[in-house]
Amino acid sequence: MIRRIARRLAWSLFVIWATVTLAFLVNFALPSNPARIVAGPQAPPARVAAVRKELGLDRPLTVQYAYFLKRLAHVGPNTADGPHATCLAVGGGLHVDLGKSYQQRRPVVTILAERLPRTLMLAAAAIFVQMTLGILAGVIAAVYKRTAIDFLAVSTSLIGISTPTFVTGLLLQWFFGHYLHLLPLDGYGESPGEHLASLILPALTLGIFGAAYYTRLVRDEMIGQLSQGYVQTALAKGLPRRTMIVRHALRNAWVPIVTLVGLEAGTLVGGAVVTESIFRWPGLGSLSVTAMLDRDGPIVMGSVIVTAIAVTLSTVAADVMTGLLDPRSRARD
Amino acid sequence: MRSIRARRSVCALALGWLLAGCSQELSAPIPTAHPEDATPRRSGKFTFASFGDIRSLDPANVSDGLSVQLLENLFAGLLDYDEHGKITPDLAENWTISDDGTSFRFVLREGVRFHDGEEVTAQDVKRSVERALHPSAPNPYASAFASITGYEPYRAGKVDHLEGVTVSGQYVVTFHLDAPDASFLPLLAMHPLRPVCRSAKNRYEDTWHPCGAGPFKLPAGGWDRGREITLVRHPGYFRPGLPYLDEVHALFHVNFNAQRFKFVGGDLDILRDFLAPDLLKFQADPRWKPYGEYEIEKTVGGIAMNTEMPPFDNVEVRRAIASAIDRDKLRLIRAANLRAADRPVPPSIEGFDPNLRGQHYDYPAALDHMRRAGFAYDPVTKIGGYPHVIPYLVYGQSIDEYLAQVMQQMLAKIGIRIEIRVVNYASFLALRGRRGESPMGPGSWTEDYPEPSTFLEPIFTSQAINDSDSNNWAFYKNPRFDDLVSRAKREVDQGRRQKLYTEAQALLCDEAPWAFTHYYRLYTQWHPYLHDYRPHPLWATDLRKVWLDRAGGAPLARSFFHPKDALATLFDRSSQ
Repeated sequence: MIRRIARRLAWSLFVIWATVTLAFLVNFALPSNPARIVAGPQAPPARVAAVRKELGLDRPLTVQYAYFLKRLAHVGPNTADGPHATCLAVGGGLHVDLGKSYQQRRPVVTILAERLPRTLMLAAAAIFVQMTLGILAGVIAAVYKRTAIDFLAVSTSLIGISTPTFVTGLLLQWFFGHYLHLLPLDGYGESPGEHLASLILPALTLGIFGAAYYTRLVRDEMIGQLSQGYVQTALAKGLPRRTMIVRHALRNAWVPIVTLVGLEAGTLVGGAVVTESIFRWPGLGSLSVTAMLDRDGPIVMGSVIVTAIAVTLSTVAADVMTGLLDPRSRARD
Repeated sequence: MRSIRARRSVCALALGWLLAGCSQELSAPIPTAHPEDATPRRSGKFTFASFGDIRSLDPANVSDGLSVQLLENLFAGLLDYDEHGKITPDLAENWTISDDGTSFRFVLREGVRFHDGEEVTAQDVKRSVERALHPSAPNPYASAFASITGYEPYRAGKVDHLEGVTVSGQYVVTFHLDAPDASFLPLLAMHPLRPVCRSAKNRYEDTWHPCGAGPFKLPAGGWDRGREITLVRHPGYFRPGLPYLDEVHALFHVNFNAQRFKFVGGDLDILRDFLAPDLLKFQADPRWKPYGEYEIEKTVGGIAMNTEMPPFDNVEVRRAIASAIDRDKLRLIRAANLRAADRPVPPSIEGFDPNLRGQHYDYPAALDHMRRAGFAYDPVTKIGGYPHVIPYLVYGQSIDEYLAQVMQQMLAKIGIRIEIRVVNYASFLALRGRRGESPMGPGSWTEDYPEPSTFLEPIFTSQAINDSDSNNWAFYKNPRFDDLVSRAKREVDQGRRQKLYTEAQALLCDEAPWAFTHYYRLYTQWHPYLHDYRPHPLWATDLRKVWLDRAGGAPLARSFFHPKDALATLFDRSSQ
C-alpha cells in the first residue's frame, strides 16, 4: 500500500511539473502584452516599455522560465524583507515564491493564501450537497426502479445536468435572495455565521448540478448490487430490507462514488468560475479567470499550481480510499 | 379538504412566483423620511457597487475610472472640478498665472489636516509632486506633466529634485513650465499630483496605506481587495460640517442582476451598471424617472483604420467608410447609452464648435469616394468594390462586437467586405497597437482630463506612433495636424486655442483616420432618500455634500428580524 501511494505521489509530481510548464508556455505564446494591461489601455508607449522591463518581460522565454523555477522553491532566511518579501516559508528554511501579481502588486502566495480557504470551504460544501442529494435520489430510484419515483429522480437528474450553473445560480439568487430575502444575494460576509449563510446558495448551485451525476451513478450501481445473489440470500435470512440496502448494497456501491468525489474535488478547488462570479464568492476560480484575461502571469501560474496539486492529491486520495474499500483493487496492484 | 387547500396554496404560490419572475416589474423607490425638511442630516452609510474592481488607491498609480471615484473622496487637491466641470480652488485658497502662462503660483489654505492629523504645507505639495513623477512611480499620467521645468532629467533619475516646483514659506508653492501648456491646469485638477501624507515619503511604494486630506479616510483593514472597501468620515476635513455621511462602502465584482436586486431592495443607494432592458425600464417608470440622470459623454468610439495598410493608405477609402456609416441607425444597438458622433471631441468638452460640420452619413458621397479610390461599386449589380476581405479585430462580449456586425452590413453596401475576428481583450490590446498587424478595428478613447487635447494628442499625433505598442492605432501622420495640436496646447488665449482645436478636428474628419461613430454615456439611478446627489461630470461620485434621509431607517435596522440576518445570527451563535 505504501509503495502504491509513493508511486502515485511521484507520478503526481511529474504531472504538476508538466502542467505548470505547459501553462507557462501557453501564457507566453498567446498574443498579449501584460505590460500594456498593467500600464492601462491609454498609457503612453514609454510607460508600457518601462513596465515591461520592470516585470522582466523583456527577457527571453528560457531565462524567464529558469528564473521562475529557481524562485519557485528555494532556501532562504525567514524574513519578510528584501528578496524574500514575496516568499512563503514552509519550514526547514524552504521557501515557495510565486512572485508578485502584476495587477495587485502583492505577493502571489499571500493572495492564494487568502483565497484558498474560501475555495476549499465552497468545494467541501458543494461536495456535501452533491453527495447528499445524489446518493439519496440514486438509492431511492434504484429501490423503486421503473416506478414514478424512479422516473422523477432520473428526470430531475437530467434537468440538473442539462441546466447550466449560471441559470440555476441566477434562479436561486433571485428566489432566495431577492424574492424571499432569505439568504444573502452574494458576497462572503464578515462573521463565520455570515460566511455560512453566504455559502448556501453557491453550494446549492454547484450541488444541484453535480448531484445529477451521483444520482445516475448510484442508481445504476445500486440496481446492479440489488440484483446480486447475496442480497436475495440476506433478505431470505430475514435481514430487514432497509438494513440490507444501507449496510450492504450501498457499501458495495461506494467505490465509483469515491472515484467521482476525487475527480470532482480537484475540479472544484480549481475553481467554480461561473458560480463564484454570480455569487461574488472570493475564491480561486474568479481570481484565475481575471488573471488569465489580464495576463497576470504570476497569479495564473500560482492558480495552476494549486489546481494541479489539488487534482492530483484528490485523485491519489480517491485511489487510496478505493483500495481500502475494495480489497480486490489492492490485490490487482 | 385540507389537502386540496394546501395544494391550492402551493399552486397559488408557484403561480405568483412565476408571474413575478416573468413580469419582473420594478418596485417603488424608497422615499425620503422627511420630505418637508431639506436640512442635511449628518449620518449614514452610502453604498454603491460595480461590476469591475479598483487596481490601486495611490494617486501616483491610477488609470481606471472606478479608482478615480474613490480617490476623489480620499485625496484633496490644490484644484478640483465643481459640479459643472469648472476648475475650482480646493486646498489652494487662490492662484495666479504669470502673463506668459509659464508660472502658476498657489497659496494654500492654512490649517488643513491630512487624515493622520499633520498639517498640509507647501513642502508636502512639492514632496507629493516629486513622488508622483519620480522614476519609481508607475504613474500613467507622468508624461502629461512633461512641460514642468526639469521634468526630463528628474524622470530619468538624473537629479534628486524637480526644478520646476518651488516653495516659498509654508503655504506658497509655484509651478514653472518650460512653455505655456493649456492642459496643465485641467491636469493639475485631476488626481495624479494630489498631496499625500508624509507616511508616503518621497518615493512610490506598493505597500503604502493610502492617506490624504480628502473628506473620507481609509481605516486600517478597510480595503478587502477584490471584494469591497469602506471609507469613513475624516473628522479633520477642512470644509466645516462636511461630509455628512459617516461611511462610504463600495462593492466590487457584483454582477448586473445582483446589483439591480440590491438596489431595488435598498442595499445599494445608486445603480450605474445596467442590463440594457433594465435601464429602459427605469427610464420608462415615472416613479423612478426623476431620480435618474445621464453622465456627460467622456468616451468617443469609432472605426480606426490603419493608414499604413491597404486599402486604408488611400484617403478616399477612409472617406468612403466615414460617409457610409449611418450613425443614427448604429446607435440603436444601445440607444440608451450611445449618441451619434461626428468628430473626436464630445460636446461636453469646453470649446465644442457647433459650426464644424464633422463626418456624416452620405451614401452617394461614399460611393463616389470608392470610385475615386479606384474601387467603384455598383449597388444594383453588386459588382466592383474592394476585391479583398478586410479583417476587423474586435474583442468578445463588448459593445464593439455588436456594432461591428451592423457596420459590416453598412460597409457591404459600398463594396467593402469585412470579416469580424473576435479575440479576448488582452490579445486585442496587444494586436491593435502593433505596426502592420491590424488594418481595421474599433477605436475608443476616454478623456483623461476635460480639454480637447486629451482626445487629439495621445491618439492622432505622430508622436503617439510606436512600432510595437502604438496608441495611434491608425498610424496617422500629418505634420499639419501635429503642428495645430502643439500650437493649441501652447496658446494662452482661449478663443484662439479653440479655433486651432476646431481646425485640427476638421482635418481629422476630412482625412478620416477614424470614422467617428458614437459617444458613450452612462446613466445613474438613485433612490429619492439620497439628497444632493448628481453624477459628477468628472468623478461620478463626489460625496462631500451627499446626505441620506431614508424612510424606514438604515437597511440594517430595517432587517433586524430579517430571516437572512436571523440565519446568520443563528450560525454565529452555534459557531461560538
